[in-house]
Amino acid sequence: MKKLLALIMVCMLLLAACSSGSSNGTESEKGSADANEITVWAWDPNFNIKALELAKEAYASENPDLKVNIIENAQDDIVQKLNTSLSSGTTKGLPNIVLIEDYRAKSFLQAYPDMFHPLTGSFETKDFVQYKVEATSVDGENYGLPFDTGATGLYVRTDYLAEAGYTVEDLQNIDWKEYIEIGKKVKEATGKRLLTYDPNDLGILRTMIQSAGKWYVKEDGTTIDLANNEALKLSFKIYKELVDNDLMNFHSDWNEFLATFNGGEVATVTTGNWITPSIKAEASQSGKWAVVPHPSLPGMESVNASNLGGASWYVLDVPGKENAVDFLTKTFGSNVDLYQKFVTEIGAIGTYIPAAEGEAYKTKDEFFGGQSIVSDFSKWAEEIPQVNYGMHTYAIEDILVVAMQNYLAGQDLDKVLKEAQQQAETQIK
Amino acid sequence: MLQAATKQTIQQKPRKSNNKLRIKNGLIGWSFITIATLMIGLFYFYPMAQALILSFQSGAGSNLQFVGFDNYIRLFTDPTFIAAVKNTVTYLIIQVPIMIILALLISVLLNDKKLKLKGFFRTAIFLPCITSLVAYSVVFKYLFGSDGIINQMLINFSLISEPIQWLTDPFWAKVTIIIAITWRWTGYNMIFYLSALQNVDNSIYEAAKIDGANAFQQFFKITIPMLKPIILFTSITSTIGTLQLFDEVMNITKGGPGNATLTISQYIYNLSFKYTPDFGYAATVSYAIVIMIVIFSIIQFKVAGDKNA
Repeated sequence: MKKLLALIMVCMLLLAACSSGSSNGTESEKGSADANEITVWAWDPNFNIKALELAKEAYASENPDLKVNIIENAQDDIVQKLNTSLSSGTTKGLPNIVLIEDYRAKSFLQAYPDMFHPLTGSFETKDFVQYKVEATSVDGENYGLPFDTGATGLYVRTDYLAEAGYTVEDLQNIDWKEYIEIGKKVKEATGKRLLTYDPNDLGILRTMIQSAGKWYVKEDGTTIDLANNEALKLSFKIYKELVDNDLMNFHSDWNEFLATFNGGEVATVTTGNWITPSIKAEASQSGKWAVVPHPSLPGMESVNASNLGGASWYVLDVPGKENAVDFLTKTFGSNVDLYQKFVTEIGAIGTYIPAAEGEAYKTKDEFFGGQSIVSDFSKWAEEIPQVNYGMHTYAIEDILVVAMQNYLAGQDLDKVLKEAQQQAETQIK
Repeated sequence: MLQAATKQTIQQKPRKSNNKLRIKNGLIGWSFITIATLMIGLFYFYPMAQALILSFQSGAGSNLQFVGFDNYIRLFTDPTFIAAVKNTVTYLIIQVPIMIILALLISVLLNDKKLKLKGFFRTAIFLPCITSLVAYSVVFKYLFGSDGIINQMLINFSLISEPIQWLTDPFWAKVTIIIAITWRWTGYNMIFYLSALQNVDNSIYEAAKIDGANAFQQFFKITIPMLKPIILFTSITSTIGTLQLFDEVMNITKGGPGNATLTISQYIYNLSFKYTPDFGYAATVSYAIVIMIVIFSIIQFKVAGDKNA
């Protein structure tokens, strides 16, 4: 009997501890809403988190009352946490501000309406690069404050090009056909493949079609546009040509990707400007690299600029949202000096147009032979055609990866795209 | 007659207090079960029922609507799901038998009375099972990379001239996954066989030896029949494990190239977290796994066809 009593007492103690614990939790949460405290989630300690810390510093000098908690999570974790919390209808434990990748943004905004706080009117949309504003808005309402640009460029090894008899001038504003021709010569001269890609990641296709103002869906963001998408067809053909001519090296993960170009295995890298720090990581290759505009699609309306990746800030509709909006608009939304710091201290290129006039943007980079790559990238960023990414980029891409495999294995292009279109239409409603 | 009468009188007297005691005992017994039952009900059966309800709904994120059997119809026309099932069944058909046979052979070898360093070998073979799924998957990914140690070894031994694309070729990626899960789970199954083998009476083997049975005959005529219930058990658990395969594929190939190594569990993950979340359809796919596990288990029971199994 004594034991039973003891057990019951222990149980009650535990229960009491639990319940008091949770009430403490709600108290502190309420407290945070009142007592000027906001929480921000982002990924990548060397990039987004650093940017946040700089923003926090800048904001604190004028508004010392607000406490900003910066919490680092992996991107996948943020996506999962948001999905599980928002779908259960609770915002408890969610931050005030969250970073979301542009390709995923609409999926969140449309899957969980009313959970995000609109930012329309709280910042000047025309001060930001247009494609970015489009990516962060739904039905004319702005939900995201644009952050970094994924403006793409073609990073080239000038020494390999020289061996094949080319200079950087020959690669300015070329299209993919010319790029392949140059690639063949470079391979003959140096034995190096032209570029490296992960067969599971069709990022290269996304950059190709966006340079022609196209996407996997039409402008409404929901109509699947695969079978009759001329830009996509051409991109498939170019991809196959790269593979068939053995110009494409395959890697299976990020580390292999880095190892490939840091080890000098490929002559070019075509991707977003966020790769710059990784390219510069191999100090021995200093002066051997240059960046030229992204190739365009030949024979159709297409520019020498495109985008890959990039993310923006979103405010969740939870207590403290006014503070969150204030924090965002006074830092990422209007602070030119802050953007100069992003460039000098992190190498992050924002999409805030007035910032491009700043000194830091014009710095010449010795690693790239004295080229001022930051101002080049922000110039290209303004040319990027705007497209509606819609909600289903990754779902469609997984279908296209299979289509690409079938096409590379020798199936008819129209047939594989038609099948992909059908599959996407049944899968996405 | 007299005996019966006394028995009755003896029993009748303490019946009242006996009844009380029985009720009390019953109550104590029930109170022990209630907690567990409530917990299981709350944390197992309630979510299962909710998932079943969820599987009849569809929509993006929180905009769920009842769609009746649409999700189940969609399963049969969804090429990605069909590809995932094909892959999973391929793993099942190729990997489970290989693993079971390997585990059997190893356990018989380790059960040899004359073997030295038995403890060491046993530990060495069991060790993979206690490694973290993610950790070993990542290691395998590096081993099988295109310039990984496996390729370098094969090239240095002049077995191949070009590196095998273990992770980016549809066929070899499947092989890699099969090698990985075999490595991880063989030792686990071996332990079951070992413990079963130790329960087999040695006199049976002695008798067989005296009758002139060779090692093969002993293995097929004694060991296998004696281990039959365990073989059934391990093949069912392995089947369930393979149908739920997730960590390895997620970490080694991410389901690629294309969806050449995609498993059903990973498809569920993709539907809920990678794409615009459709939790309703994801729940439907998970119920498809439940149904498949039930069917496979019934088949295995029928094939093994033993009452005491």
